[in-house]
Amino acid sequence: MRALIIDDSAVMRKVIERALGQAGLDLTEVLQASNGEEALQTLRDNPGGSNALALILSDINMPVMDGLQFLEARKQENLAPGVPVVMITTEGNETFVMRAIAAGAQGYICKPFTAEQVKARVLPLLRTA
Amino acid sequence: MANVHDEAVTRLDSAVSEVFETMLARSCDPLDGEVDTVDGRIVARIQFTGAVDGECLLYASQATASVTAEALLGTPSEPHDPMVADAIGELCNMIAGGWKSKLASPDSNCSISTPAVTRDGLEGYQARFATKFSRNYSFQGNVFGVVLAF
Repeated sequence: MRALIIDDSAVMRKVIERALGQAGLDLTEVLQASNGEEALQTLRDNPGGSNALALILSDINMPVMDGLQFLEARKQENLAPGVPVVMITTEGNETFVMRAIAAGAQGYICKPFTAEQVKARVLPLLRTA
Repeated sequence: MANVHDEAVTRLDSAVSEVFETMLARSCDPLDGEVDTVDGRIVARIQFTGAVDGECLLYASQATASVTAEALLGTPSEPHDPMVADAIGELCNMIAGGWKSKLASPDSNCSISTPAVTRDGLEGYQARFATKFSRNYSFQGNVFGVVLAF
């Protein structure tokens, strides 16, 4: 299974990857991007097929292009349309959650998080994707 | 004023404790007294804008920063490894976000910046803010400080 992790912190990308492993996901490859713009390019470079991405996890607060702008741009370009996106962020208030869901996110995890919380949010999305 | 201070500090203690227990699997307790002023102090800063105008600073010695990064990553880190600064920035980010999440509306309607990290100490920060809450914390003998300024 391939996943894309978007976060401006290399430390957090590593922590999230570890949490996905602890959640029992069989990751064959983890792509990484440090902002929304890099993530869009990654999606353009990985158009799908049998080796398609199964999951995208994204921070919200990032330089260059934030997570909400990424969701909007992804929708406009119709990139990886069937791939579930889960936001992982410190921005846990209702306004941000609603904006993320409206822009196409399927899940929301607030930092700090446990591997169990990642598992609970992510696995149901993979079963229905 | 005492209530405002007490509430801010209680929220901060709770946010720090949650971050350490959840992400580092360690307990972290408030500490009385001054933080060790080791040379090369590393400082992370998160700015609040909107309903709350201010900043959250987290500062520590290079040694404490390395131990913190190691606890977060699960792998050893050298003091000047860029991942150490990154880890301290993320720690400050999660503490500031946790503190903000405990605010009642309308104060909770504020945005937080991405973290900025320097190794130049605390000088130059907080000057434009009138109200400051400082708190020191310890985990496994490693000490760091957090300042909220508004």
